[in-house]
Amino acid sequence: MARIPPSVLRRYLFGGHLPTGGCLRQVRHCRPTAHSLSTKRYHGTQVPSANTESAGPETTIPFRKQLKDEAKKRKAEGTGKKSKQDSQKLDSWELTVGIEIHAQLNTARKLFSAASSSINDAPNTHVALFDVAMPGSQPTFQKETLIPALRAALALNCEIQKTSRFDRKHYFHWDQPAGYQITQYYEPFARDGHITLFSHDGIAAEDGEQVKIGIKQIQMEQDTAKTISQPGEIHLLDFNRVGLPLIEIITLPQIHHPSTATALVRKIQLLLNAVDACVLGMQSGGLRADVNVSVRRRDSPSTSSNSYGGVTGLGQRTEIKNLSSFKAVEDAIIAERDRQISVLENGGVIEGETRGWTIGSTETKRLRGKEGEVDYRYMPDPDLAPVVIGDDLIEHLQSTLGVLPDEEILILTKEYGLTTKDAMSLISLNEGGRVEYFRNVVDEYLAISSEEPTEEVGKLCGNWVLHEMGGLANDLADEENPLKITSKGDSVIPAKQLAQLVQFLSLKKITGRTAKKVLSELFEAGLTGKEETAQGIIEREGLWFRPLSDAEYDDLAREILDGNTKVVEEILAGKEGKINFLVGQMMRADQDGRVDATKAREVVRKLIEEHR
Amino acid sequence: MSGFICSRCRSSLRRVLRAQSRSINSSVRNSSPEPLRNKLVDIDALLSKPTWSVRSLLPDPDAPPSEEITPAKLHHLLRLSALPLPKSLVEEAEMLKTLHSQLHFVKDIQKVDTEGVEPLRSIRDETEEGVKEITIGMEDLKQAFEKEEIKGRNRRPRRRRGYMVDAQGVEDWDVLGTAGEKVELAGGKYFVVRSGKE
Repeated sequence: MARIPPSVLRRYLFGGHLPTGGCLRQVRHCRPTAHSLSTKRYHGTQVPSANTESAGPETTIPFRKQLKDEAKKRKAEGTGKKSKQDSQKLDSWELTVGIEIHAQLNTARKLFSAASSSINDAPNTHVALFDVAMPGSQPTFQKETLIPALRAALALNCEIQKTSRFDRKHYFHWDQPAGYQITQYYEPFARDGHITLFSHDGIAAEDGEQVKIGIKQIQMEQDTAKTISQPGEIHLLDFNRVGLPLIEIITLPQIHHPSTATALVRKIQLLLNAVDACVLGMQSGGLRADVNVSVRRRDSPSTSSNSYGGVTGLGQRTEIKNLSSFKAVEDAIIAERDRQISVLENGGVIEGETRGWTIGSTETKRLRGKEGEVDYRYMPDPDLAPVVIGDDLIEHLQSTLGVLPDEEILILTKEYGLTTKDAMSLISLNEGGRVEYFRNVVDEYLAISSEEPTEEVGKLCGNWVLHEMGGLANDLADEENPLKITSKGDSVIPAKQLAQLVQFLSLKKITGRTAKKVLSELFEAGLTGKEETAQGIIEREGLWFRPLSDAEYDDLAREILDGNTKVVEEILAGKEGKINFLVGQMMRADQDGRVDATKAREVVRKLIEEHR
Repeated sequence: MSGFICSRCRSSLRRVLRAQSRSINSSVRNSSPEPLRNKLVDIDALLSKPTWSVRSLLPDPDAPPSEEITPAKLHHLLRLSALPLPKSLVEEAEMLKTLHSQLHFVKDIQKVDTEGVEPLRSIRDETEEGVKEITIGMEDLKQAFEKEEIKGRNRRPRRRRGYMVDAQGVEDWDVLGTAGEKVELAGGKYFVVRSGKE
């Protein structure tokens, strides 16, 4: 049985909340429990009672809080001995990583034939004569494939080469009918780019606030056929995928920490998706990464002659292929770095070999050594004309890229007052639909009440759109997208209603608890197709906030003071801090949340003075 | 043809012939004709003696075969080209001999000075007009741009899905007709490849 994370278990046991939604995408964004409409849940180790005679000065720590504190302490201490050893090793050795990413371009047809591109269609139904290298067939470059390729290169700040050419890379494999792959080895279409990673992208702490990784080049190339291996050394081939356009992005070896490498792959996937260049991610197999790892001693000056792309003095590198997830990238780099360090410390020598990684293993495995190194015999492809890209095309694409994720996060944090973490969660949900919805809600709010500053409104609405709505659950709701958020920013709860609800809350016309209740009702109404407004629900159920009258405050305060004579004496003796305890007791006593803390404190203070 | 040439034409002719003779001299390896002096060159005499023979492209049959290609290297090359290995030593010796003469030819060609000359990839129209014709600009991609829409406040372009791609004449042929071995499963038809040792 799969291991269930304790947080999920806890939420189920204490809150009756089952996990919903795409958990893989929302690793960072932790949703709190849904508030059930009916009964209250008791989270403390003691049942709070109406009269607080039994409660002493010490408050009970809720069990959930206790578990969380313990987990936090454990994390802060680290894993003890192992981390100390690791940091010593890393002090003397420097890791260098270079990454090659292959991503499938988002096009209607293939790269050199007019067959259509497909994802999961019936096998061998989109194959042109050239795709299976029929004698006499010729390649015809499909110009439309340039659009996503150029967008990817522009998003990565590359220099577009006006003229680029295709070359043949020869090797034999059953998934390569022609015996060679058409790529751009000598003259790629884009060079000298860079990508900036920030601390909120998940780079290593040692890399500081931001790090800029250079991109050596981006080239277009063909994909190979899909192989389905069966027992008995039989392989089924589907040639739909042969000839699909890929781009290969080669970074400079300027990455020095495994988490930065993972952050880079993640960010490139995000960027390529944002400019519509590559819309399939690592999980669907549309993006693959090969990693080159080497280590060198920090202190001694390097005498090695290994260099790549202008970065000199590197150790011998090994290449790790077949990395199919972000975690695999990080784990494989760490395992390979540790292996190389232990080999070198024991006096050995690193071979320039190709290694593989399987998820769940502890060390990379050798796939082929230097003797098995393939000689690709690169040669220019004589059948294909050079690709000459017009300046008007480049200019148009550059100006219509749209707002990229980094800029979007800046807008969300500066104009809308969100934290970087919340902004990142917002843009990653519902394929951009959630952030559209959020901005719609803010617009509606400002339409109702235009004097409030946008940052304050943004913060409030952000909390509701991200956390409160994220926690909604209902039997009628569909698993994948319970809120039915579209990429346009529509939702099952109309933006106008949420804005109105939040505004009522902000004006203190309803309490927080009421607001959550109304939200659930709006959700239910939306799912069942009923038309409801926030105002309508509040009016119908009489949920407007009625503040306590002075007489009610007095009564409540007297009740509390009578029950806590000892505390009153302590306050009179000089312990002013204990007033807060009494205020807390008042708030707890009134279960509707109608007690205002400041007013309560005044009343308590006044009554205590009477006792003097 | 008139035998009379004016002094100006004669001196320019002399200059041209001198330049030609210098270049012929530098490419001759075996024998050199007598050095040309500053006199009128007898063109017929010049053309009657060959300064180069195609025989230079073949290795000397009397000289022993050189050891630059070892049998190991031969086998490596054959494996790279997916060609069968020689079945006997006699066959191997034949292959090595052929390879040796081919290499001699290539070495001869490589003696030409190509400093600063870009290798020819294929014969194409490299004039300005020609390059302009193959330049891909906005006009060429008009249809593709029409199939996109701008989405959201971020104004990001997105390719619209759901268009039927007209692949007539491209995809409608018997793809599996050339399969050595094929199989039809619930999902569809596949080519079959066996990777075990024969």
